[in-house]
Amino acid sequence: MLSFPLSVVFTDALFSSFLFGFLGLLAWYPTRYIPFQSNSPVYSILAHVVAGLLVLAAWVLVTVGVLNVIFGSQEAYLEFLNRSLVWRATLGGLLYLVLVLIYYLVSNNQKLQERMQQEERLRGLVREAELSMLKSQINPHFLFNSLNSISSLTMSNPDEARDMIIRLSDFLRYSLKHRENEYVPLKEELRRIKDYLAIEKIRFGEKLQYEFNISGESEEFQVPTMIFQPLFENAIRHSVYEAVKPVLIRFDCGPENGFIKAVITNDFDPEVPTRDGTGVGLQNVRQRIDLAYRGKGSARWTSTEGVFQVTILFPRMF
Amino acid sequence: MDFDGGCISGDYFVSTNVLNAMHMIRMIIVEDEKPARDLLKAYLEKFPGIELIAEYDNGFDGLKAINESKPDAVFLDVQMPKLTGFEMLEVLEHHPEVIFTTAYDQFAIKAFEQNVVDYLLKPFSKDRFSEAISRLEARIDSKKEGGGEETRIEKIKMHLAESDEKIHRVVIKKTGKIHVISTNDINYLEAQDDYVMIYTDEGRYLKQQTMKYFEKHLDPQQFVRVHRSYIANITRIERIEPYEKSNFILILKDGNKVPVSRSGMQVLKENLDF
Repeated sequence: MLSFPLSVVFTDALFSSFLFGFLGLLAWYPTRYIPFQSNSPVYSILAHVVAGLLVLAAWVLVTVGVLNVIFGSQEAYLEFLNRSLVWRATLGGLLYLVLVLIYYLVSNNQKLQERMQQEERLRGLVREAELSMLKSQINPHFLFNSLNSISSLTMSNPDEARDMIIRLSDFLRYSLKHRENEYVPLKEELRRIKDYLAIEKIRFGEKLQYEFNISGESEEFQVPTMIFQPLFENAIRHSVYEAVKPVLIRFDCGPENGFIKAVITNDFDPEVPTRDGTGVGLQNVRQRIDLAYRGKGSARWTSTEGVFQVTILFPRMF
Repeated sequence: MDFDGGCISGDYFVSTNVLNAMHMIRMIIVEDEKPARDLLKAYLEKFPGIELIAEYDNGFDGLKAINESKPDAVFLDVQMPKLTGFEMLEVLEHHPEVIFTTAYDQFAIKAFEQNVVDYLLKPFSKDRFSEAISRLEARIDSKKEGGGEETRIEKIKMHLAESDEKIHRVVIKKTGKIHVISTNDINYLEAQDDYVMIYTDEGRYLKQQTMKYFEKHLDPQQFVRVHRSYIANITRIERIEPYEKSNFILILKDGNKVPVSRSGMQVLKENLDF
């Protein structure tokens, strides 16, 4: 049974442990920069074996070297030191393995969190992009035909022409502004809808009739910006564009069972074959409602005997 | 669909200026928006060589009027109720010179550049309008020296056929009447030499067009070329029955039978998923 003075035991233990601790930190780098999944496992194992051997060799050599210098005069200790080389190396190797495993665990966890954050950011971006794309569709037909009407009015009725330019400007400003504001009070949204309808009325005259019924308390309710615009555009495109007789567009809105319910109704000539594909505008509105209220709101439509109706339910609490 | 409409206001002052009458260009406006018509009329006042004989607010009435009063030229809006400007051209019997007025139509603009007198993009200036009128006068002058307008209309039709736009209705002339058929109402189509017979619940209509055209422009989700000579509306299929050896036949909901070729059966299988 060997026995050494306490000072020798402590020096050996402290020095070798601290040195291992320091060298062990270096193992972080191969762990971090040799990702286990992306390369072949043979390659990463080899890299760790090489790195491990280097760390181990450095540790054993430095420990033995330094202890040799410090306790050079104690023969018995030096003999012990030489015999302990094998188990020092074995122990060091095992410890190194444990360290590498822990490092992999930490590193993977970090990467997972990073990826989750990135995904969340991406989802947000996609949603934003989708929303702005769905919203920012000013119909060029509407724009250029309106400008043409205004051009005509400048000759026959300059006052009305000026009025129309102001309405058109308000409307355009509003549809640009939605980039800043996601939600607006219903009454503001409807003010712009009325601008839009007034402009269309110049083009279509008596052919376009409209009516609004809104319960007082709903006026302040916040709705997604430009949510109704595509519906009115749709009504005009599929009924007024195709009509030779007057068409009535109705808007009714009020509270119902924890929702604000908005209904847009228009009549159309069922005899007239539709000219272009339907539904894109409607699908967009439905998608926006789904995205904005995460499935708690709804947009539905029915078409029966010459009456087309869209019903939107906005959840009051969200 | 039948329509009875009429001229918006028939009392046009016909110039009696003998000198001008010789070269008067007789024109019709077909445009559904009143302000747009007003604008054209206001611009036209500066051109005594042009006699406006009538104006119409939809393609259907415009078509009848053009066939009846045979004007030299028309201002034609593209987007109109009942019949678009393009659809009108398909069935016109009399072929006047055409100046398209349109707000926005990417595809059409390219296609028609060569074949119409001009196209005016709304809103247009008085100068731009004058340019169109000059072109019109030049075109009519050159026509007096030898035709060519028939081929121009044919070219426009060709351009329409070449486009990738899907059609949702078909315009057909039958016993002097114009019928506008929604493609949803078509049961099936049958090749007949240079024509295609279109079968609906209301009756059948002969259209001068190729099967290839319909195969390309009808919604492929709904219409399948089941045979060299037949295209069927798959929503109208009641059942499919074997016919002779290795052939099949469609029984439609209205009882009509449509033969199916072997390759047609393949396409049907893909579309109906069986």
